[in-house]
Amino acid sequence: MPDSPFLDVRQATKSFGATRVLDGVDLAVKRGEFVSLLGPSGCGKTTLLRLIAGLASADSGNFELDGQEIARLPPHRRDVGVVFQSYALFPHLTVSENIAFGLKAKGAPPGEITATVRQFLGLVHMESMADRSVRALSGGQQQRVAVARALAVKPKLLLLDEPFSALDRKLRETMQIELRRLLRELAITAIFVTHDQDEALIMSDRIAVMNRGRIEQFATPEAIYARPATPFALEFVGLSTRIAGTVTTYDDAGFVTVETPQGPLRAKGRFAVGSPVLLGIRPECIRFGEGGGENRIAPVLTDIVFQGARVQAHFESQSDLPILIETSTGLPSELAAGMPVPLSFAVEDTLAYPAEVAR
Amino acid sequence: MNSMAGKRVIWLAVPALAFLAIFYAAPLFYLLARSFVGPSGFTFGLFSAFLADAYNWRVIGNTLRIAMLVTLVCLVVGYPVALALARARGFAQVILLTAIILPLSVGVVVKAFAWQIVLRRDGAIARLLVSTGIWDEPQRLLFTEPGLVIGAANVFLPFMILPIYSVVKLIDPRLWEAGATLGASPLYRFRKIILPLTMPGIISGMAFVFSMSVSMFVIPSLLMGDRFQTLATLTGRSFLLMRNEALGSATAVVLLVLAVSIVVGSTWLSRRIGRSA
Repeated sequence: MPDSPFLDVRQATKSFGATRVLDGVDLAVKRGEFVSLLGPSGCGKTTLLRLIAGLASADSGNFELDGQEIARLPPHRRDVGVVFQSYALFPHLTVSENIAFGLKAKGAPPGEITATVRQFLGLVHMESMADRSVRALSGGQQQRVAVARALAVKPKLLLLDEPFSALDRKLRETMQIELRRLLRELAITAIFVTHDQDEALIMSDRIAVMNRGRIEQFATPEAIYARPATPFALEFVGLSTRIAGTVTTYDDAGFVTVETPQGPLRAKGRFAVGSPVLLGIRPECIRFGEGGGENRIAPVLTDIVFQGARVQAHFESQSDLPILIETSTGLPSELAAGMPVPLSFAVEDTLAYPAEVAR
Repeated sequence: MNSMAGKRVIWLAVPALAFLAIFYAAPLFYLLARSFVGPSGFTFGLFSAFLADAYNWRVIGNTLRIAMLVTLVCLVVGYPVALALARARGFAQVILLTAIILPLSVGVVVKAFAWQIVLRRDGAIARLLVSTGIWDEPQRLLFTEPGLVIGAANVFLPFMILPIYSVVKLIDPRLWEAGATLGASPLYRFRKIILPLTMPGIISGMAFVFSMSVSMFVIPSLLMGDRFQTLATLTGRSFLLMRNEALGSATAVVLLVLAVSIVVGSTWLSRRIGRSA
């Protein structure tokens, strides 16, 4: 069955006391895929990871891995490896002994253990550290050992719980690329938990955006960035200009006109006249002047933020929703804070969502 | 803290050391010296006489056997308690800790008398064993070695639990989970992760309980009586009843040598394990 998912989670539910941490989550991962669970802390992503690993038990739901129902299996019979956020290396063992731990537990022959340990020491560039105590290692080295230890037993599925969060930014970027390459070489199916959208966008084949115990969107990084399915996905992944308003007209071609504090704007979408909506535009889709498209606004400039290759301009808005533009081609020269600046963007780049009443 | 301040801070230990030197070390030294002084000056004669007597070897045997059994019982009973205590949260942990520490405030004499009641032929243990069918008829545990071991283990149990607990508490619970995700069974994880990491606590707990059991006086006196002698009770008898200070000094020295070698040996062992761990 090549088309059936390698990992198939259906309707996973978990509560801690009165708090529902996972609210009927479905997740289907293909063989060899690298999937990120992206969301703010408390969204249930780590809990979902622990349910898949068997480190916590679900209140209800089906968990199938490689065609086998695993919900009732204890963690040591699941063939699911985990790289923990704190790495959880065994402090009383050396680097080699840590990597050999799982192989010894499974009773592999000594020759095979030695060869496998050497192979994985090489894959993570830790040969020279083989006999060191893991307590003497730096954060990046510990992370490498944790990955090698989890992979040495050749798990069907590798789970990673924010493995880069303890590393500084430079090292994190190196490790992200290194890990991605390693997993691809070994054709490992992996699920990666993170709250860092950049990390998710860089590393994943697909991203599951999680919020309040649910997966709001599960798609490729490109699709999530270009077409976020929900206001939460729009807000959490990437920057966006967001403008709230009310639908005033609706036409048969599927376009609406929305009355906003910035003036009337048009967007694609099917909404009843009078319903509140939230409009979202990615900052790089907005142009200075009137050449960017049919939608035109003229907000007051408040700030210019220089970011190296790119420049952001922030504008005054009547609500707490941001209005900003991002460009890599430079700003018009005569800009000054306090003056209204004409901006324009295309109707097809204007995303419309039903506004949450609570906002 | 820099090394200068570190050197100065050491002076804070002087009052306590002076106190111990005057009121503890000096009398002890006097006592020890007594055992090496014969009619014609320095001699090992007292010890060769002591060790030549088969009865005294039985006393040494009694002392070591009881101390080892008490230590073993405390370890077997206390180790799981220490694990449970470290994993317990909130109210359950408070209850457990109280149950372990509160008995320390009850004097050992009171506890020994309480055990006299429990260990009698019509005591709680005998009745429990008969009602569960393990014993056909009630027997007396008082004045027997098993009774002594049970009573002593009860008194010394906290000194086994607390050092192990303090070590277990420091173990990251993720290590246990990490072992599981590597395919290790619970038994394998216990043997290869928990046991080695708790070994320093086990060693210090065993050293505490062993050194206290080897030198206990009140408990064997009350639970065994005069027919059964250990080095500590024999020392007491020599001084208090037999007025034989020479014999008392000799038994005290043998006891001291045992206790010191245990403390030094276990410290060395746990440091060695600490280094290699």
